[in-house]
Amino acid sequence: MGDFSIEKILISGATLASLLHRSSASSGDLHGFLFGHVVFSDSIPLSDDDTTSSSPSLTATITSFISLPSHLPLPPPITLSFSSTLLGWFSARRKTPLRPSLKDSLTTLSLSSSCSLAFTPHNSTALHPPSLFLLLTTPLQDKLIHTHEYKTYEYCIPSKSFEPKSLSIINIGPFFRSHYDSFSPNAPFPLINCDLRGSNAMVEDEEGETLEAIRRALKNQKKLDMCAEGFEIRRMSKLVGSEAAIYMGELEDLYDKMLCKIDALSKLVEQTSVKVVGQENQNMKLRYKVAGME
Amino acid sequence: MAIDTVPPLIAAQLNDLISHSSFPIKVEQMWSGCKNPSLLDRFTLVIPFCLDYIKWDVIYNAIYPLAAPDIIFGPEDESFSPYNGVNEAVDSKSSKNCLADWNSKDPSRLLRLIIELRDAYTTYQKKRVGEVDDDRLKFELSTMLSREGIEMCTSSGIDKPEEVRFAVPLLEMDINKLVLGSTWKRPQKIYLQVIFPVGKKSPSAPRLKLVSPVELKALFSIDDFKLPPWLEGMCMAEYLPTLEEMLQAQITDAVLSIEVRRKFIMVLEPLFGRPLEADPVFCRKATFLANSGVFTFLVHISIPLQFPKQKPTLILQSSQHFISHGAPVKSPLLTDYPWSPRWEASEMAGRIYDFLVDECLNFKKFCNESMVLLR
Repeated sequence: MGDFSIEKILISGATLASLLHRSSASSGDLHGFLFGHVVFSDSIPLSDDDTTSSSPSLTATITSFISLPSHLPLPPPITLSFSSTLLGWFSARRKTPLRPSLKDSLTTLSLSSSCSLAFTPHNSTALHPPSLFLLLTTPLQDKLIHTHEYKTYEYCIPSKSFEPKSLSIINIGPFFRSHYDSFSPNAPFPLINCDLRGSNAMVEDEEGETLEAIRRALKNQKKLDMCAEGFEIRRMSKLVGSEAAIYMGELEDLYDKMLCKIDALSKLVEQTSVKVVGQENQNMKLRYKVAGME
Repeated sequence: MAIDTVPPLIAAQLNDLISHSSFPIKVEQMWSGCKNPSLLDRFTLVIPFCLDYIKWDVIYNAIYPLAAPDIIFGPEDESFSPYNGVNEAVDSKSSKNCLADWNSKDPSRLLRLIIELRDAYTTYQKKRVGEVDDDRLKFELSTMLSREGIEMCTSSGIDKPEEVRFAVPLLEMDINKLVLGSTWKRPQKIYLQVIFPVGKKSPSAPRLKLVSPVELKALFSIDDFKLPPWLEGMCMAEYLPTLEEMLQAQITDAVLSIEVRRKFIMVLEPLFGRPLEADPVFCRKATFLANSGVFTFLVHISIPLQFPKQKPTLILQSSQHFISHGAPVKSPLLTDYPWSPRWEASEMAGRIYDFLVDECLNFKKFCNESMVLLR
């Protein structure tokens, strides 16, 4: 287990930004799991220098995370989807030295020594434990310009120590082209079958379709119709020709209705947000009471 | 930074730690990790170890003060990771550590945690010293380990050669008990600091230094103690018994000399009257009220540790002349009077008295002059 160490750690700018935002917006310290994927590659050194032998290495890409306040224990690790694995965890604490703490090393140890959490990197057979640790802090001195500090480590089981690793940020741009070329999309949403009803030229071929499938298709169709409110795609043809002027009015009506709906929805969101904030304040007050700080 | 902004649960644990620790722990700085910066929940502890200090950051969470704290160790101790050793897990005692069943309502928890971690740190440093590849050191370790309470650590820097430092507690006797009515709060233990250079081909003599708590100076000054010479080819096991013997003799003398000083203060009494104030434990200081005509003044007598070899020093203080801020006029240190360590105590007292009969006139003049200067 863990024969190869992780050579490169990548994170998308958006994921890192979201992580930094989450930690600075929270009232206290945070921790959570990091998810992503690991690719095993026989890297061929570009230089013809013999000393850099072509050793196989692992490249980890952090794509997502979950977080919770750090006074709560980390939940039993879960896998988000088949395409992302648990790579490790992170700890975000304000105004502390940028060094793993006692708790950090104990948590990392327990994660990386758990056999059930080990994963198999792409195109590899060896199991690898979730041994990454990302530490986020804010500087101890107030006068510094930067507002965040972070450091990534890989926990090395044989030596029981943290090995600092560099974290590369992937952004959108020509320089990062290669990352997107090798990108394979994986949508976590189920695909909705949106076959057009009525375009029934192939009806005869559907004999093999089970009743269950038809029922599902009907259900999906119903959902689609609800969104369209009677404006099926067939009626799109009316956008051209003599009826177009009348039809435009109808469409504008539809848009108005949609805007009203969105407006109502956003009001609803606003109201619930107020309730959430109220509840959070109430929780805070209760916590202060428990801590004897009234 | 006011102490009242520390959440009560955290403050209770911190106060308990500072007041009940057997070794002096200091809080170096406190700060906040919350959005509300007036709630202090993080602090740096300065903990004595091996005659030096280690600094650990204790990270609480003011928003959730019920949660156990987290500790960040010093930057040079990144490989120190207590509670996770596989070998330690065999030991059932260490598998249930202080953090595992944290109770925030119990104020003694932080102290217990720190003691537990400091013990683990002591073991960790001992292991590191054991791993140092140096024949002499290995020999010293094997012959010295029978002594209890030795602390050791390795230190190396970029521009410093590697060294191993030992703190060897000396003398089995309890100095606190030797002095009747002593007011010392902490045990007065004398340590020998031994620093071995590592990795040199020809082993050179270690650097030796005696260390004691500052309060011990009232009884015995380690600066006056001359360390026995370190002969070539010597080892600690040979050196320590000689050293301890000498030290023991000198401390016994120091304890006996308290009585000599006490007697001296007593023979001053028939001449000067009862002292206004006298140090009853170590008998190093006495203050008498004296007068010459209507001029009244105080005589401060401080008696050195080497009494009667060294003579006491005198300071006169007027009770009638005050300079700015109400401070009384004082004479400089007076030592310019006849003295012989071979005299009887009553003779010494008599000579001081005779000297002061003349000197107080000078002092009165001095006082009047300083008042004139003020106007």
